[in-house]
Amino acid sequence: MELAQRDNRVIHILADSGTGYDEMFRRNFPNQIYNFGISEENMVAAAAGMAAEGRIPFVYTAGAFLAYRSLEFIRDDICFQNLNVKVVGMGSGLAWSSLGPTHHTTEDVAMLRAIPGLMILSPATPRQTAECAEAAYRHQGPVYIKIGMNHEKEFYPSDYQMEVGKNEILREGGSISIFVTGSILEEADQAAERLEAEGIRVNLVNAVSVKPFDRANVLEMAARTRMFFTVEEHNVYGGLGSIIAEILAEEGLGVRLRRIGLQDCFAAGYGTHKSVRAENGLDAEGIYRKIKEYMGNE
Amino acid sequence: MDDEKKLKELRKKIFLIGCKGGMAHLASCYSCLEILYALYVKGVLKLDATNPKWSGRDRFILSKGHAGLALYTVMAEAGLLSWEECASYMQPGGGLGGEPCMRDSVWVEATTGSLGHGLPFAQGMAMALKAEGNPARVFVLLGDGECEEGSVWEAAMTASAFGLERLTVILDCNEIQKMDFVNKTIGEPVWREKWSAFGWQADEVDGHDIAALERCLQEENHTGKPRLVIAHTVKGKGVSIMENNPNWHFKLPSSKKEWKVFREELGISEEEMG
Repeated sequence: MELAQRDNRVIHILADSGTGYDEMFRRNFPNQIYNFGISEENMVAAAAGMAAEGRIPFVYTAGAFLAYRSLEFIRDDICFQNLNVKVVGMGSGLAWSSLGPTHHTTEDVAMLRAIPGLMILSPATPRQTAECAEAAYRHQGPVYIKIGMNHEKEFYPSDYQMEVGKNEILREGGSISIFVTGSILEEADQAAERLEAEGIRVNLVNAVSVKPFDRANVLEMAARTRMFFTVEEHNVYGGLGSIIAEILAEEGLGVRLRRIGLQDCFAAGYGTHKSVRAENGLDAEGIYRKIKEYMGNE
Repeated sequence: MDDEKKLKELRKKIFLIGCKGGMAHLASCYSCLEILYALYVKGVLKLDATNPKWSGRDRFILSKGHAGLALYTVMAEAGLLSWEECASYMQPGGGLGGEPCMRDSVWVEATTGSLGHGLPFAQGMAMALKAEGNPARVFVLLGDGECEEGSVWEAAMTASAFGLERLTVILDCNEIQKMDFVNKTIGEPVWREKWSAFGWQADEVDGHDIAALERCLQEENHTGKPRLVIAHTVKGKGVSIMENNPNWHFKLPSSKKEWKVFREELGISEEEMG
């Protein structure tokens, strides 16, 4: 809303995906919001058309419906034409826990990262999300932001500023490095807490900028530690773990990498976000156990 | 030169450039040639030939991208592209491609080729123009086979809900898609009834009659609804063996007999044949 206030080219676009917040937005900026109804492809292509006319549309609905259903429209209409559309996928990972895999956004990075020219941001906390919106607004070109639902734990101070293309080191001095992206940061941080309580020091790196990715940071962490873990609420194929694996292989770094995420499966179970994470081994306990298990095997 | 002669000349050029490029959707090009000619050459579209990005210009999107060569040829006829650029169609090392692409020409308003994108994209443009009080019109040319795509109907619904009366869809209704006749694929399409039911003002025109097209497309629409113009056309129009024959969707003549028909009916000399 703050962006809409600052710049009347900013248009808020929904596919029947609004909440009370959007009603408030409509009251304040009636000429900067459109609801396309339940038609994601249509909404994405129309946003591209608006961008061709100089607007800065932010299209907003469940990430699953954007990344899968409108994939070709994101590719052809937004990215191929390099139009200034911001695609905001809400409910990243397993956040729509009770609704099952049709609503889970667990393969979006794999699909979207391969599209040329699309910046991908994956904030972990409310402040980081606000920073990503600002960064997306400033960037001239297509951006995909995958955001959580709400109530994510805040890790950043009120004067936090994000830099696109930079990983953020949240814990240092460790013998292992854990890379994490998205709101699952909270679980990874708790797992790190437990490891540290046992005397295993951990580097914890938050990768908010999925594309472009901070290659230099991976090199730096590889110089410090020989064992990497990635934690993501995503299939281990094509997500954060794959990105780091590419860099390690290309640089010939010989670092051991273990990818923690969905092991090429759809998530099991229903319930709260917390319980579905737990059921799929992606809560703090599950992450802690996997790291211990892998370390024990070395 | 009168329009009829010019159009014959353009069909010949499309054929020769397509042959040189190695392939073209000739039948699709020929079915919508008069529509494109009315828009670009007869001046239905308000354009400034010196400024492709003039904000007041009418926008046109060729959603059935297969007819890209017809679009480029007509743009050249209208003086927007040079004939040299036009002849770079499918030539190695750059030039124009088989489907309209923004990176290939500043005059292309939207990159198309995958069907079902042009209308929702054009709708976004029309919404932005409406919001700023810009009276420019937005035209989209759809194929009738293309209307099998669901995204066309998503946009058909919302464009009427948004009251985009400066948005016009021209339906190139040649009744044939790649493999067969449209009605054999999806049953009788009853386009007029379908689009009317979706809240569009539906009109019909002979899609090969230049004067009728001009009149129809220039008409102002004050219905508060977006407008559909069903242009009844013949796929492959202008070459007898290609007309109304689904086999010619993506094909150049192969036998001597076929070459002869094209040469005679398009008036191509031995030298032009090369």
